Amino acid sequence: MNVVRKFSAARLLMWLILIIGAVLSLFPFFWMTIGMTLNPNDVIRGVIKPGSELSLNWTKATTNYNLGLFFMNSMKIALLTVFFGVIVNSLAAYGFEKYKSKARERVFGILLLTMIIPSIAVVIPMFKMFSFFSLLNTPSAIILPSIMSVFIIFFMRQNFSMFPSEIMEAARVDGAGEMVTFVRIVSPSMKASFASAAIYMFLGQWNSYLWPLMTIMSDTGKTLPIAMASMMSAYTIEYGALMIIVCISVIPVLILFLTMQKQFVAGLLGSVK
Amino acid sequence: MNKRGSYYRYLNRFGWLCITPAIVFFLIFMAYPILSSLYYMTRKWKGASNTFVGLGNFVRMSGDSFFWQAVGHNFIYMAIQIPLMILLALLLAVILNQGIKRLRGAFRTVFFLPCVTSLVAYSVLFRILFQTNGLLNNLLINSHILSEPIAYLANPFWANVTIILALTWRWTGYNMVFFLVGLQNIDTEIYEAAEVDGASKARQFFRITMPLLLPVILFSAVTSTSGTMQLFDEPNILTTMGGPANATMTASLYIYRQAFVTNSDFGYATALSYVVVLISGIFAYIQIRFLGNRGEK
Amino acid sequence: MKKGFKIALALLVVAAFVCIGVTSCSNKPKPSKVTIWCWDPNFNGYSMKAAEAVYVKTHPEVTFDIVDIPNDQIEPKIEAALQANGAGLPDIALVQDFSIEKFLQNYPKAFADLKAAGIDYSKFAPYKVGPMTVGKSIYGIPFDTGSTGLWLRADYIKKAGLKPEDYQKPMTWAQVIKLGEIVKAKTGKPLFAYESDSFDTLRIMVQSSGGQFFNDKGELDINSDAVKKSLVILKELNDKGLLFMAEGWSNWVNALNNDQSAGFLDAIWMVGTVKSKPENKGKWMVVPTPLLEGVPGAANASNNGGSSWFVFDKAANKKVAIDFLKSVWASDSPDSLAFYNDILKACGAMGTFLPSQSQPNYTAQDDFFYGNQAVFKDFSSWMAKVPTLKYTANYNSMRTAVYNATLLFFQGKYKTVDETLAAASKEYKQTTGQ
Repeated sequence: MNVVRKFSAARLLMWLILIIGAVLSLFPFFWMTIGMTLNPNDVIRGVIKPGSELSLNWTKATTNYNLGLFFMNSMKIALLTVFFGVIVNSLAAYGFEKYKSKARERVFGILLLTMIIPSIAVVIPMFKMFSFFSLLNTPSAIILPSIMSVFIIFFMRQNFSMFPSEIMEAARVDGAGEMVTFVRIVSPSMKASFASAAIYMFLGQWNSYLWPLMTIMSDTGKTLPIAMASMMSAYTIEYGALMIIVCISVIPVLILFLTMQKQFVAGLLGSVK
Repeated sequence: MNKRGSYYRYLNRFGWLCITPAIVFFLIFMAYPILSSLYYMTRKWKGASNTFVGLGNFVRMSGDSFFWQAVGHNFIYMAIQIPLMILLALLLAVILNQGIKRLRGAFRTVFFLPCVTSLVAYSVLFRILFQTNGLLNNLLINSHILSEPIAYLANPFWANVTIILALTWRWTGYNMVFFLVGLQNIDTEIYEAAEVDGASKARQFFRITMPLLLPVILFSAVTSTSGTMQLFDEPNILTTMGGPANATMTASLYIYRQAFVTNSDFGYATALSYVVVLISGIFAYIQIRFLGNRGEK
Repeated sequence: MKKGFKIALALLVVAAFVCIGVTSCSNKPKPSKVTIWCWDPNFNGYSMKAAEAVYVKTHPEVTFDIVDIPNDQIEPKIEAALQANGAGLPDIALVQDFSIEKFLQNYPKAFADLKAAGIDYSKFAPYKVGPMTVGKSIYGIPFDTGSTGLWLRADYIKKAGLKPEDYQKPMTWAQVIKLGEIVKAKTGKPLFAYESDSFDTLRIMVQSSGGQFFNDKGELDINSDAVKKSLVILKELNDKGLLFMAEGWSNWVNALNNDQSAGFLDAIWMVGTVKSKPENKGKWMVVPTPLLEGVPGAANASNNGGSSWFVFDKAANKKVAIDFLKSVWASDSPDSLAFYNDILKACGAMGTFLPSQSQPNYTAQDDFFYGNQAVFKDFSSWMAKVPTLKYTANYNSMRTAVYNATLLFFQGKYKTVDETLAAASKEYKQTTGQ
């Protein structure tokens, strides 16, 4: 829908807004990448030209701080969360949406209510519970509470609502069991939604801070956000190495998003309806 | 769904089966902690021992002006940052949808990018940006706009401004993508019909676009509000424990301070949490009522 | 077929949990591994590693896991773990001296009584032992001293046309302010790098006069002469432009290491930080803490910080941990004394173990400082004059309330000292519920 003729003032204004917005959005990323190559003082002084300290900073990041280990910890935890999370949440969403019943709607209502509870309120009881089962300082402590996500269930419900029930009926007539229908017929055509859900869950878990902070008690279990915060509280802040770690923490999600953008937006498209 | 006898029962059972794993997780990791925290609420804690105080924590809360100040800060952010962000997101979405079509995908990606940063990472970046000897001041001084650096993070007013700017930077793109998708869902035929009827662009926007977008805007508003009520990482890292002098203290941060920093009074902290839940709930209810009804017109 | 799928799904879920559990259940401590939590790997961590090296010479079967946990996270973590009945706690943890009373009061049975385990406390500086004593039990091993001094840049004093040697003596605040004005006028550098969200400077000033923040009953009492006078002096320093404001620890360090101020007021443990910048060589000198004139009991000495090692009573390797501390940190064997000697020179960690103070590094001249000043000798002698400070369990809350009010006092929101102290009292009372 071409609203305006080319080269009009309004069009120019719109381009200006977009470009300014883009610059503001991108600037911190740009600065992060330059920051990786500078020495700590230059980083905060605001030097814009790339320096030559990249390898020095890299050494600091990998030896003084065990970057590789933290990365793998974060990755392992995030992937496991996504794997189980997608299964549990999509199954639940399917159940709520395609097998509607008054009782289940009430249950869903209760689940929705819990979305407004601040995590700080449940930290202590959860902490005590995990310590009782001797699961503190393990990846399970971080993975298990994050598997069920009401937001993801809600999101996937919207997507499932677009899936025509006739196909399910047809499958039943053909003699397929309900679970088989879900796994073999419904899911493959909802790939976009699954992809979106996976990305959201990955993002949430990859960047999670407060709870891992409370449960991780040893150096070897630290995840990237904790490492970053530790670096900020250190006696002397190694800004260059910090920039590297920030970059590294951003890259996987970035790649994920860029490659799965189409599915991601398509999934959003479904859920917004 | 067909309510005939055993087939219906079979489908119903399957429905329950589907949601069972989620319910189990819910019961263990949500319901149990919430219920057991009710136990804490009526007790005054001092480290290893605690005593029953009934409603004592709530009495204390009513005289704790610092808690209410913190809640007040949450309100300020909600009142200023959320409308600002939604307007901005809407503006960008409309431009990308109807104004400039070229490079839409690229711009959409660029605006969404801030959302992939972790809250810790971007708080760290913004802190380095705004500290007195930080990037922003250095740039402004070098280009002679300022002669003396402004201590943004040591000044109550500016500290709040930095939080609002940081939040807007982080979340505008996120909401913009939702709005963009919402806009794309609107059938162009409606607009064509309106054109034929002689409606102006502005009229089309307000009479057609806005009402159809209302569900998405509502979703944005509700999630942003509950997110803002839980604001924690930014005032903790960007302005360090709600500084300067509690100017950016938020409810969640105050609760954390009571539970872990001050004197580990978990009972009081839990009581505070429930008040926050109550407030969030009231807001959500109001928004759904108000915006939800408008949408039905 | 449907049933099969259900069972398969259930089994899959169970199997997954088992997998997670199995792969992560290897965090049970091995028989002789000592876990230690501390912050600052270059200071505390380094010292522990040096101690480890001494111990494993005679006990090669013991391994150490020294975990680096930042200063602002270590107490919440200990707190959370104590709430969970000790789950996840290390064997030894480093605790700031001002937080000890809080832990001992709130969790009376959490720590191991080291006096009962045979440690001889007469060999440690009394002002460190005080806070960790409860009745007949004493709980920790004192570590570093926070003996303070006024650190000055001799080169800037020279640039201002003055002779640094003239200032290497005990001074009053009035004299220091005069010095600051001259240096600012001639070089443009404020005399003090000041951490805007910190309580340290005020605390140093108050403690130098033996002043307290709490009365004998543990109640807040900040309306003393010492506190009021200190606030007045700080405001004067700020108004005259003698304070360079930096937010946060790291920016403060940056300010003093990057020539943005001509000095600072802080403790001996800053030696490592100052030495970390080679360009600082020959530029810094340390003079006694300024005297708070007009306040009875004032001295040219004070203390800021310092921490001590504590053993948890329920620790898995309590015996080994106590033996380790006893034989390396509380013994006057040649190896132990050499250890204290080494960490002093290497990272500026001055222990409070009295026998170690006769070691060579304690009295040696240090060519890093202006005029080869024997800084450690000076800090040692000042340490002897430090009065004991009563911390109570609410030190943290008091600290926060006071520095918040002080910041607003600087910014003009509160016009008088009394108003400022009233605001601080209010915040203290309301946030602690007293």
